Amino acid sequence: MTQSVYEQSSFRSNFFVVWDELVKNMKFLMAYPIIFIFWAIFPIFWFIPFILQGEAFVGGLQSANFAQITGSGEYIPFIVIGAVLNSYVNTLLYGMGENIRREAYQGTLDYVFAAPCNKAYVLIGKALSESVSSTIFAASQLTISALLFGMNLTLGVMLPVFFIVILLILGLYGLSLVLAAFSLMYKQSHDVSETIGYIFYIFSPVRYPIESLPFWAQIIGKLIPLTYALIIVRSIMLLGTSFSAMYWEILALIIIDAVLMLAGFYMFNWMETKTKKSGAISHY
Amino acid sequence: MVYDKESEVFSIQTINLTKRFAKKKHRGVFGFLRKNQSKNKHEENTDVTVALDKVNIEIRPGELFGLLGPNGSGKTTMIKCLSTILIPDEGTVIVNGFDVQKETSMVRASLGMVVGGERTLYWKLTARDNLMYFASLYKMQRRYAKKRVEELLETLQLSDRADERLEDYSTGMRQKVAIARALLHDPPILLLDEPTLGLDPNFSRQIRSQIRELSEKHGKTVLLTTHYMDEADQLCDRVAFINNGNIVAVDTPNRLKAMVKEREIVEVAVYRPPADIESQIRSLLPDAEVIKLIPGDEDEGNPSRIKIIGGTAEEHMGTIIDALRQKNIRIGSLNVGVPTLEDVFIKLTGAKLTEGGMQ
Repeated sequence: MTQSVYEQSSFRSNFFVVWDELVKNMKFLMAYPIIFIFWAIFPIFWFIPFILQGEAFVGGLQSANFAQITGSGEYIPFIVIGAVLNSYVNTLLYGMGENIRREAYQGTLDYVFAAPCNKAYVLIGKALSESVSSTIFAASQLTISALLFGMNLTLGVMLPVFFIVILLILGLYGLSLVLAAFSLMYKQSHDVSETIGYIFYIFSPVRYPIESLPFWAQIIGKLIPLTYALIIVRSIMLLGTSFSAMYWEILALIIIDAVLMLAGFYMFNWMETKTKKSGAISHY
Repeated sequence: MVYDKESEVFSIQTINLTKRFAKKKHRGVFGFLRKNQSKNKHEENTDVTVALDKVNIEIRPGELFGLLGPNGSGKTTMIKCLSTILIPDEGTVIVNGFDVQKETSMVRASLGMVVGGERTLYWKLTARDNLMYFASLYKMQRRYAKKRVEELLETLQLSDRADERLEDYSTGMRQKVAIARALLHDPPILLLDEPTLGLDPNFSRQIRSQIRELSEKHGKTVLLTTHYMDEADQLCDRVAFINNGNIVAVDTPNRLKAMVKEREIVEVAVYRPPADIESQIRSLLPDAEVIKLIPGDEDEGNPSRIKIIGGTAEEHMGTIIDALRQKNIRIGSLNVGVPTLEDVFIKLTGAKLTEGGMQ
């Protein structure tokens, strides 16, 4: 008694679920044209405080002390990489929970959950769309860095960096599923996102080298995927380290990704069932 | 038509369907400091509402079945249990031959639903974008989906404005898009929850005609929930009354109305009636079977109505007019009418009918 138009699960139909979710969210984004002004202007403004701070603190854009710890005296490219990768943390952690909450508020979440597709693909589409804005912003920041500080953006450097960014996004995707699960049940994940965001910001080497942290804090930092992504990307882009020389860090990142993804899917499915039992799925 | 119940296959069947909701009690800002007297902490902190209480319904293929009841009677909970949005606490629910708890994907593919109306669409997207997005969630083949979307836009007279964002649509047009979404994957069963709520008479008529066509021409099984008794009377092959999570009666509209056919019915529209008007009239009309005040919305031009079922209408009219005049209650109109489904509902549920529920 099934329908002829109902297509059983296949790669193609799952691909279109991800794609259409991505397109839908991009159309929402484009519905507010102010975003283009933000994308065009803000990356340029972003550099100004760092340049002025450098002039005031160390009398220029080079620091000998910084070079001793990190191997490179130019601290702005170091901070740019930190900011670029951290922006994925911000958008994915805050974005996913908010996206689910918005759908519940609009009343569309019931329909998404009543559809026969696998919800994991809807969530992948949401995660991808949350990353697009960060990627556009990151591309602008890196281009300006290349112009101002001669940062190497050749294909040989950017391909492995791109791979590491994908690995980072996968780990963050797992974490964002946990937050989306929270949002599904409690309709509020902002405080949890904020707390996790701050933990990442403090214990990962976003603004300073990990060596600046006390030993116990470094151990916490090494449980965070962003730490490995930052160490690998900076080594490749700033020190010219080869991709293959970073295999321990890459392996650690993959293991953390796997743990976070499994935890994310488990948590989301558990919360989905719980909300369908309690009736909270339709609340907002 | 005689149905052989043993061998009959139903489009929708619920067996002892029960759904309860637990609500946390608010104990105030510092409630957590107060000592918990109960041994069972969970019981102490929660209220349990039974939204559906052992509901048994059987809907045949191609049937247009109405589920009628006041707000909060369990209609929407029923639809949500059928559509897998809620997991029942007890009982079995079979949709199109599939168990809602074991064969969830097949149930979802068998259903199209209109629940919550216009609010459940993406207003920043166009009608075409909305429909293509949901076609994707229903795993429809791309080429077929495009063709189907065009077909539905044409049928529902939305083609001309298909590329406009829904935020520029009227409520009625958005409701049409919601109906198009329910029909996208050509499901054999439709769940329509208050599909004409908030629509103007013209759009309501159009939507009703679409529903009738879907059932008669396309053989769809339709479960329609509404609190508009006239709508159910016009459209439905059979009707079930639901009140406080219980099914009170199931039958054809004509058979249900026959339950009060022999009784004479007087309906008086009044403005600003006192709260105890029911008991006052009851003392004046001891032979009336049912006396019910149905609150209206006077700001919207809808006066309250007093329904009197049973007894002799001619005698009742004089007594009521005298009584209302004496109390300076303004009378809007007075009718002696044929029974409606609303009269049956009032008779069946009597005191159980919650105030403000029926509209």
